[in-house]
Amino acid sequence: MATTSTTQTLSSPSTQEQPRTGTWDGGNEPFKASYGKLMMWFFLLSDAFTFAAFLTTYGLMRHRHLAYTGTNEAFEFSTAYWPIPDKVFNAFPGLHGIDLPLGFVALMTMILIFSSVTMVLAVEAGHRMDKNDVQKWLLWTILFGATFLSCQAWEWSHFIAGTDEGTVMEDGTRFFGANLQRNQYGPVLFADLFFFITGFHGTHVFSGICLLIWSFIATTNGTFEKRGHYEMVEKIGLYWHFVDLVWVFVFTFFYLV
Amino acid sequence: MAQHSNNQPPQLGEIPKPNTGWIWKTFWVLVGITALEFVFVFLMDPGTLRNTIFIILTIFKAFFIVAEFMHLKHETKGLIWTILIPMGLLIWLLVALVSEGSYVGESIQNALN
Repeated sequence: MATTSTTQTLSSPSTQEQPRTGTWDGGNEPFKASYGKLMMWFFLLSDAFTFAAFLTTYGLMRHRHLAYTGTNEAFEFSTAYWPIPDKVFNAFPGLHGIDLPLGFVALMTMILIFSSVTMVLAVEAGHRMDKNDVQKWLLWTILFGATFLSCQAWEWSHFIAGTDEGTVMEDGTRFFGANLQRNQYGPVLFADLFFFITGFHGTHVFSGICLLIWSFIATTNGTFEKRGHYEMVEKIGLYWHFVDLVWVFVFTFFYLV
Repeated sequence: MAQHSNNQPPQLGEIPKPNTGWIWKTFWVLVGITALEFVFVFLMDPGTLRNTIFIILTIFKAFFIVAEFMHLKHETKGLIWTILIPMGLLIWLLVALVSEGSYVGESIQNALN
């Protein structure tokens, strides 16, 4: 009887999962952070390089083109100079023809900041092992994330469709909206960089929503409860805040400056 | 067998009260800074000074998101510097390439004239 129980203990997973304590066998926690969190930080650092490269390219291209020098009121779209963002992004869904500079972007920014808040609340609830609260705040975060993505879809379709008047291009034809080869707002690269930068950010928001939906299902199934901690929610939270952080920079460098 | 009583999962009946004051405080700071940015959009003419103000306010916002929401302020010093030093190098990249862009633009204009 005693022999059997020893064999069972040896082969049971609990023996293999005994915590390691030595310096060289994985027992160390560099920076007192868990492996997963540390690797998430390093991934985010590398991702920050990608976004920084995009935004730096935007700065380079913007300075490479002529700047508009006239007054704000007299501004007209032209491929000769870089457009003023207030004049490009001034539409709001349902308020056709009303000039609301950056109004919709302000709303989108607020939605994303708020989704970051609900995400911290989910992480905080995870620390307290409060399954119901984690579920509630994850759901809110998914909702706000999806709302942000829908807003971006509207923003894109408006940008692609263009204004009512369009712009007379260099070859004399009237062109409406934007694609990767031509756009009514300014130099070709203006629309290209808009699509690439906001598109890359939107892809990140989309992956974030997928991760959140997965972690919501895992929370509901009690996976994290059984594991004894909600660190996975914390790691996804880091990613989600990073997406919010990138938006703060995109907002400044693409819309404000 | 006596150890079995220790293997029981901890009683989950008592969930501590949420401590969310700092989260909402950070949220209002972020909302405040964003509102301030919009004040500058409408009340100030575009220029280098306005852009500098925007960038400083953006760095403030980034600080609050990274330090509080991402909890970096409460990590070890080693981790903080591991993240911040590579990001600092990017500032150099930005300054270098933006001035390079101005130079390229100027050269093209001069060649056309």
